[in-house]
Amino acid sequence: MNHLLRHALQGTTLLLFTVCAACVQEPQLADTPENNLEALWRIIDEHYCFLSYKKQAIGLDWDEVHTRYRARLNEKMSSTQLFEVLAEMLSELRDGHVNLYAAHDVARNWSWYEDYPTNFSQELQDAYLGTDYRIASGVKYRILPDNIGYLAVSTFQSSIGEGNLSEVLHYLRTCDGLIVDVRNNGGGDLTMAERLAQRFTNEKLHVGFICHKTGTGHDAFSEPEAEYLEPADGVRWQKQAIVLTNRQCYSATNTFVRDVRECPNVTVLGDQTGGGSGLPFSSELPNGWSVRFSACPMFDKEMCHIEFGIAPDTLVLLTDEDKARGHDTLIETARKIIAKNEKKELPGKNRSRELRGKE
Amino acid sequence: MKYAARCTLIALCCAAGNIAAQEAPPRTSAHVIGIGGANHLDTYLSPLNYTGPQFHYLHESLRPTSLFDGKVSFQSITHVEGSVTKNRPEKADDLGGSLSFDAAWHYHLLTDRPLEGFRLMLGPQIGGTLGFLYNTRNGNNPAQATAEVHLSASVAALYGFHRWGHRFTLREQLDLPLLGAMFSPAYGQSYYELFSLGHTDHNVRLTTPFNAPSLRSLLTFDFPVRNNTFRIGYLAEIRQSHINHIKRHSYTHAVLIGWVRHFTLLPHRQAMSRGCVF
Repeated sequence: MNHLLRHALQGTTLLLFTVCAACVQEPQLADTPENNLEALWRIIDEHYCFLSYKKQAIGLDWDEVHTRYRARLNEKMSSTQLFEVLAEMLSELRDGHVNLYAAHDVARNWSWYEDYPTNFSQELQDAYLGTDYRIASGVKYRILPDNIGYLAVSTFQSSIGEGNLSEVLHYLRTCDGLIVDVRNNGGGDLTMAERLAQRFTNEKLHVGFICHKTGTGHDAFSEPEAEYLEPADGVRWQKQAIVLTNRQCYSATNTFVRDVRECPNVTVLGDQTGGGSGLPFSSELPNGWSVRFSACPMFDKEMCHIEFGIAPDTLVLLTDEDKARGHDTLIETARKIIAKNEKKELPGKNRSRELRGKE
Repeated sequence: MKYAARCTLIALCCAAGNIAAQEAPPRTSAHVIGIGGANHLDTYLSPLNYTGPQFHYLHESLRPTSLFDGKVSFQSITHVEGSVTKNRPEKADDLGGSLSFDAAWHYHLLTDRPLEGFRLMLGPQIGGTLGFLYNTRNGNNPAQATAEVHLSASVAALYGFHRWGHRFTLREQLDLPLLGAMFSPAYGQSYYELFSLGHTDHNVRLTTPFNAPSLRSLLTFDFPVRNNTFRIGYLAEIRQSHINHIKRHSYTHAVLIGWVRHFTLLPHRQAMSRGCVF
């Protein structure tokens, strides 16, 4: 027994040493400009999901970015100056899901819509809605004079109930067609976007893929998993529907457009969406600033990136002449298409996909 | 006739109770609360350590068994803990909580050797933990779930002694997980993929001291006050893992205080003299 006990104690001692020697730690860097830049660069280098894609698409060289911005640091720089340098460094990613949050400012690159015409006028939309429109869970809707339903979904951040959607579509059931206006919808909850898209299909549709990083390497990704759009249990729209888009359709709205464009009776009309196909994660720097970045890339069903947006089935831009006349070119075009009962042309849709693949 | 039957029934019950009282093994139950500090790291949420106060509640139950001629005792420990921790710049909070349960079978070695009242106990322990760590400002990675089961080696050294006609007990116990399984998201996997889409990716991983070196140390001192036994103690716990390229650690220590009860039908002193494990 003493022999056994001696071995047991030796084994326990060895394991104790193993535990003590194998501390799982992460270097806790001091709050200096250099450490904050290094930490931020490393977070993006190890976690950001589009480094390889953006190297190919826009020539982004993340190592070169490090060298260039590291040279701009000095020990005496103020917190505000450091923020400016780090904000510019992140801006190189050209990603609306990348932000740096400090108490005094939020760093962002919103060129995905700031560099383009809005193709949207709040005044015009208000004029189309009038004053007697209905509201359900933040979704505004009414029947236009030519018996076409109009649905304005300005955000997916607030919850849209299944019951609300059934009530809305039931109210609009006698319309000849439906216009779903998601312009200026910057996204929100993916589940809400999916919930609305599910109203436009009667069968399960393959709409895209999603994957995630499995390690620190730029190309360390999991096997892409297919994403499907399941038909809703409640009221589903069976007639023609036209989804209006512009460059401010971002994130969850981009995913909504990806999903709904696969539905048989839906046509996407307007400008290209803004993109934002990376599910954002958060992390933080030694000085406590929070950083947000794209972590899980989503693709369309041909495994094409949709980070820089989705081209519409029908490109229509808001003209100054129409705007001056109080007409919204996109809404008016959609009304004409519904009146003529024009179905979307699949070859055109495929062509837009090819164009997108070259971005 | 009715009176006789009633008397017989009462007599039988008393006899049965007496037998039970004489043969029932004494059980020990301890309720302990504690307060201490925690140091959390979870690189799925942040590369920064979060530190702050942590609160503990432990319930420990101990009873002899008939295994190996009564040389094996059974111990169960239920441990609830909650913490509110901050990162070093104090700009974000982590809220943490966990519930763990461990059951151990200790073989008693070296009873009354090398000195009277000393006892060394060694045996296997099985257990599991459910918990969470929630970061108050993260977006799609706001929380990390903890779910793990383990098989551990448990070693305890006890020294019971009498002073001023009362029994005191000093105990140190080390629990060292050797083999287990734990849940972990993949390196950059979102909970949206896991729970909304149902996509899994190596989310249950085998744990060993090499990828999850962990240890729990429990030092207690039981002392009597009148007919009650109280306990003070110190808990130190190291939980670590480096799985799916995600580093996690939880270093906690706490001062404990509580009371101990010996559940037996015998009076307290008699129960003590009959050889309670504590």
